[in-house]
Amino acid sequence: MSTAAPGECLLEARGVTRRFGGLVAVDAVDLAVRRGSVHGLIGPNGAGKTTLLNLIAGVHRVGSGLLRFAAQDITRDSTAKRARAGIRRTFQNLKLFGEMTALENAAIGLHAQTHGGFFDAVFSTPRHRREERSIADRSMAALHFVGLAGLAQARADSLAYGHRRLLEIARAIVARPALLLLDEPAAGLNVTEAAHVSDLIARIRDEGTTVVLVEHHMDVVMRVSDEITVLNYGRRLAHGTPAQIQEHPAVIEAYLGRAAETDRAQA
Amino acid sequence: MAALIALPWVEPDKFALHVISLIAIASIAAMGLQVLLGYSGQLSIGQAAFYGIGAYTSAFLTAKLGVPFPLALIGAGVAAAIASLLMVPITRLTGAYLAVATLGFSIIVYLFIKNEEWLTGGSYGFIGIPRAELFGYVLRDPRSSYYLNVGVAAIVYFVFARIEGSRFARAINAIRQDADAARASGIRVTLLKSECFVIAAFVAGLAGSLYAHEVRYLAPNDFTFWKSIEILIMVVIGGVGSLAGAILGAAVVVGLPEYLRAIGDYRMLVFGAILIATMLFGEGGLAALVATLGRRLAVAMRLVPKLPASRKVAQ
Repeated sequence: MSTAAPGECLLEARGVTRRFGGLVAVDAVDLAVRRGSVHGLIGPNGAGKTTLLNLIAGVHRVGSGLLRFAAQDITRDSTAKRARAGIRRTFQNLKLFGEMTALENAAIGLHAQTHGGFFDAVFSTPRHRREERSIADRSMAALHFVGLAGLAQARADSLAYGHRRLLEIARAIVARPALLLLDEPAAGLNVTEAAHVSDLIARIRDEGTTVVLVEHHMDVVMRVSDEITVLNYGRRLAHGTPAQIQEHPAVIEAYLGRAAETDRAQA
Repeated sequence: MAALIALPWVEPDKFALHVISLIAIASIAAMGLQVLLGYSGQLSIGQAAFYGIGAYTSAFLTAKLGVPFPLALIGAGVAAAIASLLMVPITRLTGAYLAVATLGFSIIVYLFIKNEEWLTGGSYGFIGIPRAELFGYVLRDPRSSYYLNVGVAAIVYFVFARIEGSRFARAINAIRQDADAARASGIRVTLLKSECFVIAAFVAGLAGSLYAHEVRYLAPNDFTFWKSIEILIMVVIGGVGSLAGAILGAAVVVGLPEYLRAIGDYRMLVFGAILIATMLFGEGGLAALVATLGRRLAVAMRLVPKLPASRKVAQ
């Protein structure tokens, strides 16, 4: 969607804060996601990863702070507006359109880039028929890309769990968004399926989409991330390459030290 | 289709043709609600408001201003559609909250009709509505008005059938199934929900106009919330999401009480029992029931091989 050089900052969060009642879910977080990278977002349960993702996607309003996407201030934009600007996402607890086929689910991802309305459908103009064909072709290509081409006509609610996860990704990438937010795409998957997802994320990046990845499967995160930001108690704990993060004392303490202590205390 | 065209010649009974006209008119309003509820998932129990606005607009335009019927018909639809723009702020609501808000609108329109005597005739009713007239030909007998009412219903059916499988239909179906996921795909949920309200109101207005010229007398009590409930019942017993179901539902809700008059006061009791039975035994409404029975019959007659009835694939 842009010809800017890779490495430039596509998404920037500055001092982003969000409170829920008395709880500060995300506390003055800074985040810089470079264009063309996979940016891992990790942290213990309740660290604020999904909240931060929801703030970027526009599901929650930012309490204070600033969000910039492709050099535009998007802090106050609605979810739909951000999606139309090129921010797409998947959901941790799968939000597919169960009564639609896999192909139709993918087609929904192209809604913002197409135009046919009520009257186009009624009069079935040549332009509309051409657009519908292009929607079908591009949706099929997206299914093929994630490995679901053979299930295009299956109803989404009849798909196996792993396939539903892939269909969410297909719907999110079909419009070739500038930024893809993945919320635990490998949750509940076995080792083989998780490896397929890692592979898929790398291919999505290679196609030119920048990825923010929230994931608990450490092997997936470490394998595909170019950079990682670690959150803990709503704050940014560390930021660096996978290798730096694995060696980071504060991260090790957050993940192992305190957890180990708590385990011992509870024992 | 051919049967519908031939019917008035096979069954020239005036009362029967009049009842079928009323069914056709009701089915138009029901098909509108089918788009609103069955497709976009918005529960309205205020469709009588738009039906009433259409009826009185058409009556006023033809009787008081001498506007030709075809223009009054379109005018009725447009007036109802414009009134439905008042619904835009409440499309943010969902489920029971939306339903109660539409009910509120329906009550306000009813009170307006009842109290603004200078415009609507108030409780005395609106009298002197001319017969429908097309291309200089006055539709004097039930046969010609049958063709008008069934014709408009058929047009509405085919127009709505055209949108199935289109980008527009996919988007409003997506909103019904998961509005958050729809937003995340860039769908402007409020805009599309409002469009559905306008479409449903427009056809309800058309239905109101046809009704005004079919019965030629309007009274406020034709447009109480009970009428809204009736339209909702048509959609639900016909099968939510099915256009043909809306027509079947209209046939049951309008036709059945007419033919149950023989049993007097018991007719509403029987009607109520039928509603309960349909809900209990016909998941998916009459449309699904008819489809299932048709398939069983075909299997019994060995027309088609017996297949495991997979609801997930059958769609």
